[in-house]
Amino acid sequence: MGLAGRYLEERGFSTVVLTPTHDFNRAVGIPRSAAIEYPYGRLLGQVGDREGQKNVLLAVLEVLRTAERPGEVRHLPFRWPEEPKETKWQPPEMSPLIKLFLEEIKKARRQEAGGERS
Amino acid sequence: MENQTKPVDGFRFLPPSLAAWIRALLPSHEYQGEIPWTPVEKPLSKLTFSLVTSAGVSLRSDPPFDMEREKREPTWGDRSYRVLPRGTTARDITVRHLHINTTYIEQDLNVILPLDLMEELEREGIIGRLAPSSYSFYGFQWESTEFLEQAIAPMSRRMKEEGVDAVLLTPA
Repeated sequence: MGLAGRYLEERGFSTVVLTPTHDFNRAVGIPRSAAIEYPYGRLLGQVGDREGQKNVLLAVLEVLRTAERPGEVRHLPFRWPEEPKETKWQPPEMSPLIKLFLEEIKKARRQEAGGERS
Repeated sequence: MENQTKPVDGFRFLPPSLAAWIRALLPSHEYQGEIPWTPVEKPLSKLTFSLVTSAGVSLRSDPPFDMEREKREPTWGDRSYRVLPRGTTARDITVRHLHINTTYIEQDLNVILPLDLMEELEREGIIGRLAPSSYSFYGFQWESTEFLEQAIAPMSRRMKEEGVDAVLLTPA
């Protein structure tokens, strides 16, 4: 999504990405990011929580309005009301990519736990 | 705001193994290259907006995004896009995405593409206008940038035609 934001920004649109993983900014260089600690697929809020969704949307618009420099990341203060394991954001079936890289993914955790890469 | 708010943990909702894998793939330093920038030169109440999500949302009257090929070729992701007109609600859409649970979007489109809320902000005078068209593409684009020409380029041309100033993007 960062690449899409860059593409549009280059063509004269002002953009803001509402992102659950602002760390991708290190790889891509995203013009404006509003970082939120919400589960994937529900970045505005819970189903039917119109007021909560609107508050997030207004906060994102505020990032668009006030960001001052390319690459700026603003951290939004909203808290998701469930623990990560309760959010059920993952697909019912493991994605084809995860199946393909499953051994590498497990290895990455072992390496991280072993301090091979921080 | 950055100083007043607890930093967002971008990995909190990921399983630990997947988080470790993604961390290992990302650079450990800040982005070094140039970042494009189009300044916001008007107040929000004068801006025309469009929304873009990568959640694989299509109108029921359009073909859904192609998941079958991805199942056969796990590093391929559909490069196409769909137009979602203002007024589109959860009743009008199909969602296809192999990396998230799509149930919530199918129940309430506002959780990822707040068309309805933007129309409310338009009525309240907080934004100028929501453009006639918003968009979805499919966010899983593994090591390929073909989607920029195949999806984002035609979107941007249509945005120009519709007088769009600003775009909100919501990844999935």
